[in-house]
Amino acid sequence: MSAENSSCSVPTVSEPTAPRSAAPMWIIVVTLLLLFLGGYYFDQHGGWFNAKVYAPYANAEKLEAFQPKSGAAAALARGKFVYDSVCGICHGADGLGKPGQAPPLAASEMVICKGVSRLAHIPLAGLNGPIKVCGKDWSLSMAAMGAALPDEDVAAVLTYIRTSWGNQAGPVTADDVKKVRADMGRNAPALTGVQLLNLPE
Amino acid sequence: MAAFVALGASWCGFVLAPMLQLGGAKQTVILQSADNWPQQRTGDATLGLSVYRAYGCAACHTEQVRQTGAAFEVTLTSLGTQKAADFKDFIKSLMVVPDLATSSNSIVGSLDKWNGELPKTLYSGDDGDVASALADHLKPVGVKTETRIIATGPDIARGWGSRQSVAADYLYDAPVQLGSLRAGPDLANIGVRAPDANWQWQHLYAPKSVTPNSTMPSFKFLFEVRAVGAAPSPDALKLTGAFAPAAGFEVVPKAEAKQLAAYLLSLKANVPLYEAPFTPVTAAK
Repeated sequence: MSAENSSCSVPTVSEPTAPRSAAPMWIIVVTLLLLFLGGYYFDQHGGWFNAKVYAPYANAEKLEAFQPKSGAAAALARGKFVYDSVCGICHGADGLGKPGQAPPLAASEMVICKGVSRLAHIPLAGLNGPIKVCGKDWSLSMAAMGAALPDEDVAAVLTYIRTSWGNQAGPVTADDVKKVRADMGRNAPALTGVQLLNLPE
Repeated sequence: MAAFVALGASWCGFVLAPMLQLGGAKQTVILQSADNWPQQRTGDATLGLSVYRAYGCAACHTEQVRQTGAAFEVTLTSLGTQKAADFKDFIKSLMVVPDLATSSNSIVGSLDKWNGELPKTLYSGDDGDVASALADHLKPVGVKTETRIIATGPDIARGWGSRQSVAADYLYDAPVQLGSLRAGPDLANIGVRAPDANWQWQHLYAPKSVTPNSTMPSFKFLFEVRAVGAAPSPDALKLTGAFAPAAGFEVVPKAEAKQLAAYLLSLKANVPLYEAPFTPVTAAK
């Protein structure tokens, strides 16, 4: 009781209050930065929850790169390699040909025809003189660029040109090439455009 | 509310997300073949999983191979008519090719102290384009090369497997015996490393009889020591020396030992899968 009576003599102090203040800017910046870095790391290493992607493959593309190339894929890769090193110099990496050097292969009626025999004659025997390709007249000469290549490589490169740049024709097998080579005989002279068109597809 | 969110979030992370990711897992196709992986265990091997579980094998053994990297390896297997010195010069001249320029130091460097012994690894790295370009450029020269995809890592270096374990390997394991402690070696490929059932029995009966430094306890109670009957049992353990039973007696496995060994022999994760590619070593070489 006595304490209560004497309380009036104690100076009144207001209750302490915590002032409201905004969160410091640096915390927000650091948080956003961490979120961004976390997201970036996930994007690079997380594989986006793909059930097929395990470490050490960081993502689906890396995993795809490590798939063994076999059968069709390997032949196509081989075909592209041969094309780029033998044919592409004149016919162009895009298969569009080069004026004064070589006619186009993309959408060419010589390439996308049903049979493969006539097509296979061109690299194996060579081609001379005037010929009409894609509605344009060409008068050039091509050496027998494929004569020295093994059957598999000729087949691979023909398959490659028949399935690239929008072409959608069937594959060429090494047996097809072998047959054409046998029919043609050794050291056959270069064909002319007319001779070529007289051959069966 | 906060407690619900905390529990709900971890439930989503630990239960729901893995379920969505792997819950619908089915058999997958083995790379470059039409066969499915994995195959359901049959007979004793199925029962063996519960024996494996009951005796706590997973306390000391894991069933998971880890992999830290993958690489393409181009190996020279035959020089054809070429001489080693000429081949070295040819490789040096080849390094101007744009595809190979980036790895020229390692390829040429690996040939520095080479005297022509085969097979010789020419390139080992993670760039598939370099590997295929190297193989393509060497093909017309008349030498023979072999390009392989290999998994790398300490477990694989120990010979515990040819690739890492993936979820598909455990499709028919219930419960999955992953294990977390390796007092003993990893068993994910024990059926490949020790394909003989009698070896497995001997190892269970007296581990030191086949691996002298083994710290594995003996599982003698899974076996029966009995007098040889009219003829010795075909299942009798081929024990020698101090481990062999007294003359006139033989050690034969009980049903549980046979089941456990059948399960161990079924542990083979040695086929390439899409998610864990590698080039298998062909046996005929």
